[in-house]
Amino acid sequence: MSKTYIVPSDINELNTLEDKLQLLKDIKRSFSVYRIDCGSCNGCEIEIFASITPMWDPERFGFKLVANPRHADILLCTGPLTRHMYYPLLRAYEAAPDPKIVIAYGACGCTGGIFHDSYSTWGGIDKVIPVDVWLPGCPPSPATTIFGLATAIGVLEQNLKRVDHKDGGVKPPVIEESFFGNTLFERDIVSKTKVLMGYLHGRILYKKYVDAVKKSTDIYNPVKVKYELIEAIKNESDPRYKECMQIIHNDVYLKHLKTYKSIDDTNPALSFTKEEMDEIYG
Amino acid sequence: MKLLDMTLKYGNATHDYPFSPYAVPEGFRGKPEYEYDLCIGCTACAVACPSNAMNVELNEAKDKLVWEFDCGRCIYCGRCDEVCPTGAIRLGQNFETAVRFNKEDLIETGELELEHCLKCNKAFTTKKLIAYCVQNFLKVGWTQEVIDEKTKYIQTCPECKKHDAAGLITDYKGARR
Ligand code: SF4
Ligand code: SF4
Ligand code: SF4
Repeated sequence: MSKTYIVPSDINELNTLEDKLQLLKDIKRSFSVYRIDCGSCNGCEIEIFASITPMWDPERFGFKLVANPRHADILLCTGPLTRHMYYPLLRAYEAAPDPKIVIAYGACGCTGGIFHDSYSTWGGIDKVIPVDVWLPGCPPSPATTIFGLATAIGVLEQNLKRVDHKDGGVKPPVIEESFFGNTLFERDIVSKTKVLMGYLHGRILYKKYVDAVKKSTDIYNPVKVKYELIEAIKNESDPRYKECMQIIHNDVYLKHLKTYKSIDDTNPALSFTKEEMDEIYG
Repeated sequence: MKLLDMTLKYGNATHDYPFSPYAVPEGFRGKPEYEYDLCIGCTACAVACPSNAMNVELNEAKDKLVWEFDCGRCIYCGRCDEVCPTGAIRLGQNFETAVRFNKEDLIETGELELEHCLKCNKAFTTKKLIAYCVQNFLKVGWTQEVIDEKTKYIQTCPECKKHDAAGLITDYKGARR
């Protein structure tokens, strides 16, 4: 959608950067915030109300939610600006006394976020009205909200700066030597851990599994490797890791071992049996 | 009086932030941190990103590949972290992301050198990506012949591979092994 709203000249004249800085100086530590929901999914609203609880207490530095844009110094706009909220936003914007500070709240308010290419949104508050502070996050946590408000009134300085990396050369990062003699083994464990436990816990699982296998005196001997895994499983308290380590052993380790020597992977001395897996959950 | 007693008993629950630092809880998903030296420009993050906060595109002069991240659009889902093969992108602990008066400050970019196709000489990926793959080939334990064939295969752009499929199969047998 193209820009159709042109800020009226009387509002424009009263909203120069100097005016805004003067306003911030004048209101010091007492500012009224009017919250406009421009079609947000309500996640942002919940976080705004989480941040005005006693846990975070923004009234310490004068933050106060007001019920009317005519009382407001700061407009807090959430949501990607849906078509239906276009006129209500403009009415609130024009009703707020000049000069006014506009905060685009959440990923949606900043750029449209996850809804940026939807047919029914404008993709950000700044597509329609001038915005002064961008507060990203989906939704911004209360800490981010407090930081954003403190930045808006100048209590804190922003600490993000545009970064442009250049001339990184052509040298790729060094790949570690495989302890199995084949990096495909590590690759398969990494992908299996991600499938089993996701990227965050998968990384922990990977470390636990590899540490256990490395302890074995001969990593090409499945009986010894299984013994080390049983030891590691005994010391592990979380049943999810226990089960996943067994699955990796059966599905990845034994498969790769077959490229080195012929083994019978149904042999219970080498692989984990169904009974052993069930045992974990007692 | 009773109320005061209760207040004393439970103490002060308000966080001192922003007047003293705030420690985020474990597992907190903050701003994705980019390690330029590790990035090989594989575009996995750009494909995975659900809100297109990450993009990898040719620059205007079409001589560099530009990785770009717009923090204002990121929804902190962690998918980029999940797919990045080199760990160049990791969700950090930074939650102080607001910017004032200049939206450009939310953006981070990284330029990467381009690699050209062996057959049609069109730019199609980065030099770093090819070098990374070749380095990987050496650690798999293939014979030199297979490695050479695979190296040639990955230096051909997808279009050439598509149009010349029959020729390639005869040329680079090793790529199918
Ligand atoms: S930024 Fe996220 S939480 Fe906030 S309105 Fe948009 S989708 Fe909802
Ligand atoms: S996935 Fe990682 S290596 Fe690939 S382009 Fe993104 S940051 Fe760079
Ligand atoms: S955390 Fe999610 S939204 Fe943010 S850049 Fe990564 S993939 Fe995109």
